[in-house]
Amino acid sequence: MSAEPNPVLNLPAIEVLTSKLRRRQVVGSRPAALETLILLRQVVAKARFSNIEQLVEIIRTVGRRLVQAQPKEHSVGNTVRKVLHHIREEYNTATKGTSAAPSTTSFSISKFISQGQPKRQNTGSGPNHHPQAMMKATSTWVNHVPAPPQDGRRASVQINRKEDVQQEEEDDDDSTDGEGSSAGPSTTTGQDPDAFAKGLKPVLMEAIQDVLDELETVYDTVSKNAKDHVHSDEIILTLGMSRTVEAFLKAAAHHRNFTVIVAETGPSYSGHAMAASLSASSISTILVPDSSIYALMSRVNKVFLGAHAILANGGAFATTGTLLAATAARTHSTPVVICAGQFKLTPKWNLYHEYGGLDFGDPGDVLGFEEGLLTDGVDVVNPHYDYLAPELIDAFITNDGDHPPSSIYRLIKETYDDEDNDL
Amino acid sequence: MPVATNPTPDVADNEGHDPAGGQRDQPPLKSQKQMTKAERRELQEKQRAAKAQGKAHNAGGGGQAASSSRAAASSSSGTGPSSGAGRPRPAGPAAGPSYSAASRPSAAAASAAEDADNKHRGPRIFSHFGLTRQVAVNPKQGIMIHPAIQRLALQFSEFKITGANARCIATLTALKSVIEDYATPPHSTLSRHLMAHLSPQITHLVAARPMSVTMGNAIRQLKLEISNSDIDLPEQDAKDALCQTIDNYLRDRIFVADEVICALAGKKISDGDVILTYARSSIVEKVLLHAHSEGKNFSVIIVDSRPMLEGKSLLRTLTSLTSKTPNPIQCTYLLLPALPSVITEVTTAFLGAHSLHSNGAVYSRAGTALVAMLAKGHNVPVVVCCETYKFAEGVQLDGFTRNELAPQPLPSSSQFPLSKPRSSLVLQSTPKLALLNPLYDLTPPRNITAVVTEVGLVPPSSISSIPLAMGRQTV
Repeated sequence: MSAEPNPVLNLPAIEVLTSKLRRRQVVGSRPAALETLILLRQVVAKARFSNIEQLVEIIRTVGRRLVQAQPKEHSVGNTVRKVLHHIREEYNTATKGTSAAPSTTSFSISKFISQGQPKRQNTGSGPNHHPQAMMKATSTWVNHVPAPPQDGRRASVQINRKEDVQQEEEDDDDSTDGEGSSAGPSTTTGQDPDAFAKGLKPVLMEAIQDVLDELETVYDTVSKNAKDHVHSDEIILTLGMSRTVEAFLKAAAHHRNFTVIVAETGPSYSGHAMAASLSASSISTILVPDSSIYALMSRVNKVFLGAHAILANGGAFATTGTLLAATAARTHSTPVVICAGQFKLTPKWNLYHEYGGLDFGDPGDVLGFEEGLLTDGVDVVNPHYDYLAPELIDAFITNDGDHPPSSIYRLIKETYDDEDNDL
Repeated sequence: MPVATNPTPDVADNEGHDPAGGQRDQPPLKSQKQMTKAERRELQEKQRAAKAQGKAHNAGGGGQAASSSRAAASSSSGTGPSSGAGRPRPAGPAAGPSYSAASRPSAAAASAAEDADNKHRGPRIFSHFGLTRQVAVNPKQGIMIHPAIQRLALQFSEFKITGANARCIATLTALKSVIEDYATPPHSTLSRHLMAHLSPQITHLVAARPMSVTMGNAIRQLKLEISNSDIDLPEQDAKDALCQTIDNYLRDRIFVADEVICALAGKKISDGDVILTYARSSIVEKVLLHAHSEGKNFSVIIVDSRPMLEGKSLLRTLTSLTSKTPNPIQCTYLLLPALPSVITEVTTAFLGAHSLHSNGAVYSRAGTALVAMLAKGHNVPVVVCCETYKFAEGVQLDGFTRNELAPQPLPSSSQFPLSKPRSSLVLQSTPKLALLNPLYDLTPPRNITAVVTEVGLVPPSSISSIPLAMGRQTV
C-alpha cells in the first residue's frame, strides 16, 4: 500500500469502522455515510500535513481502506469524495487571496454549461489529467480496482501549484512529523511546517461540518417539496423500509390526504416496519405481500421508492423487489419516483450485472432452518439489491432538487471531482 | 358487531350457480359461541321476526341450546323427509350431523370481525374485495349438511385443501357421497328434488370459501346431468349413473387431461434447461416429475412469495422424489423479489392457472403476473399449463376487480422464516393500517406465450375458440 508512515493512518477509529463495515454492523447508506464523515473529521483533526496534497492523500488512503472493507456500501466512497471536493474548494477559496496562482480543480463540462462558479473559471489544469479523468468517469464500477497509485502525485497533481511546492512535497513525503522544515509552503507562512495545517484546519473542519449538517438534515430537505408531488386521495405504492421515503410521505401527509400501499418485500419484510411507522403518523396504510403488486398496480397513482445508490447513468441500486415493482409500474405507465439524498450519488456504472451489486444475504432468511430437510441440496438465493435501469425511473427527488435520470451525470460532476472517481 | 359476512350470493352468481331461492336472504351465521348471550338472543329475535313462523325448538335458551339439541339429534344424515324440498326452511329439528367443530375458531372469527370493522375505514376502492372470512361452519339452522360437505368446508376455510384442481376433485368426491346417501322423498322426482337437495350443500361450501371456477364448472355440469336424468329410471340406477358421471368427469377432464398435458409440456423441456415456476401448481409439478421420469436433466427455479408460500411444498416434493434417482432435479428456491437476479438464466417459465378467461388472460395465484411480466420482458417463453375445464366464461381485465382475500392470520404453514422474531413481523390491523392479502392476480395475455391444454398448445389469443371447438354447450 501507499501508506506512508503517517501516524494518522494508525488511528484506531479507522480500524474500528473498517471492521464494522466488513461485519455489516453498519448497514444502510446514511449510517455508513455518517460514520465515515465522523471518522474523516477525526482524521483531519489529527492529521499532520504541510500541504494540501498530503492531506488529500491521507483522506484518500483512509477512504480506500473503508471502501475496500465494504465495496457495496457506496455512500462511504461518496462521502470521501464529497469531503475531498469540499476540502479542495475551501482550500482554493482560502488560498485565492494569498496565492498568486489560484489553483483550479479539474475540467468539467457541467461547469462550462452552468458557468455558475466564476471562481473556477480557470480551466488550465494539468493537460495530462483530462483523458484520465474522462476515462475514469466512464469506466464501469466493476473495474473498480483499488486505486492505483504508489506514486501519490499522479492523483494529486491537479492542484496546479508552483514547482517548489512539488519539490517540497517530495521532501516531506516520508516525514510529516514536523522536522522537514526546509521550505514551507509558499502560499502560507512558510517557516513552520504545521502552520499550513493550522491555518487550514478550521476551514476544513467547517467544510466537513457543512457536509455533516447536510447529511443530518437530508430527510427534511428531500421532503421539503413533498406536497408538490402528492395530490389528495392519491394511492401511493412504496416498498420495504426506506427512511427517506418514510420522511417524504410523512411530510406530504401534513398537507394531503392519501393512501399508501406498502409492499413488505421479503425476505427482510421491512415493509412491516414501514407500515407500522406510517400508520402511526395516521397515514392510511395498507400492507400487502410482494405477490400482489401487479394486481394492485392498476389502481396505484405513483410509486415512491428508496435507493441504495444512484449510479452515474441514472440507474440505481435499491433493495430487492424494487425492480419488480418498477417494472410492473412501467407496464401500467405509473410514474416511478426515487427519493434519495445526494450522498447516494455514486460515480459508477452497472452495465453488465443482473445480480444487482452482487451482494447476497443469509439464505436462512429465505428458507429457515426449521425447514432443515428441505435445505439439503437446494440452492437458495437471497440477493440484497436490485439494479434499476434508468428507463424504469421517472424522477429522482433529492435534497438538491428534482432530477430526471438523464441529468444525474451532471449532478455527479458537480458534486465530486473527477479525479476521485477511483479513490 | 357485524352480523355474519355475506359473500355467498355474489360468488354464487358469478359462478353461474343458482342456489335455491329464498335461502340466500339469510347469510350463514357466525359461530354463535363468540357472541354474548344478549347478542345471541338479539340475533334470534331477528331471525324469528324474519321467518314469521316461529320455531318451537329455538324459542328458549339461545343458540347454544339449539345447537346442542341439534347435536343430540344427529342421526342418519341426509335422509330425513324434512330435508326441505324447495322450501327455504324445513320445519322441525333437523337431523343434522354433530356440530362439535362449529365453535372451534371462535377467537379467530372474532379477530376477523374486527378486521371487517377496520376494512371499512380503509379506502373505499378496496371495499369490494369483501371481508376476510373465517370459518363459517355454522349452517342455517335446520338445514342438514352432509358430513362430507361439513368436513370439506372446514378444510376449505382452513386452507387445508387449496388449488383449483384439488378443490374441484374434493368437491366432486364429497358431492358423490351426498348423492349416494340421498333418498328421494315421496311425491318427488330425483331430477327435481336432488338439485334442491344439493344447493344448500354447495352454499355451505361456498360460505367456507368462495367457489373456484373449476368447482363452478363441475357443479354446473353435474346439475345439467341431474336435470337430464331420466324420470323413469329407478332411483338407485339414477344415482349410480350420476356417480358414474362424476367419476367420468374427474377422469376425463382432470386425470387424463393432466397426463396429456404432461406429455405435451414435457416436449418443451429438454436437457440442460432451467425451468422457472412460481408457487405450486399441481399440474406443473406433474409436468416436472413426468419430464424427470423420462430421464431429462434439467434444473428448476422455484419462486415463492407470501401469503401462501406454497413453493415450499413443491420444493419438498421435487427434492424428496428425485433425490434418490440418478438424475436428481437441482432446485433453486427464492422469494419473488429476488427473481430479477436469476431471470436471465431461465429457459422456460411454467406456470399454473386457477382459471382461464376467453380473452386469454390467466387468473392465477398472486405473483404469477409478476413472474410472467418479467419473463416476457427477458424473452423467456411463458407456458401456462391448464386443463380445459378451468375455462371461465367472460372477460376479466385486471386482478383487482375480482379477487379473494386470504384470511388474517393465514391458518397455514409457517409464513415467515424463524430467523426473525415473528412477533416483529405479524402486524395487527389498526384503524389506519389494513392488511390486504389478495390471493390471485390476472396475467394479461400479452405476457403469455402459450397455454398447454389437453387439446394441444394454443396461443392465448385462441383460448376463446376452445370451449366451442370441444362442443361445450353451456357457454
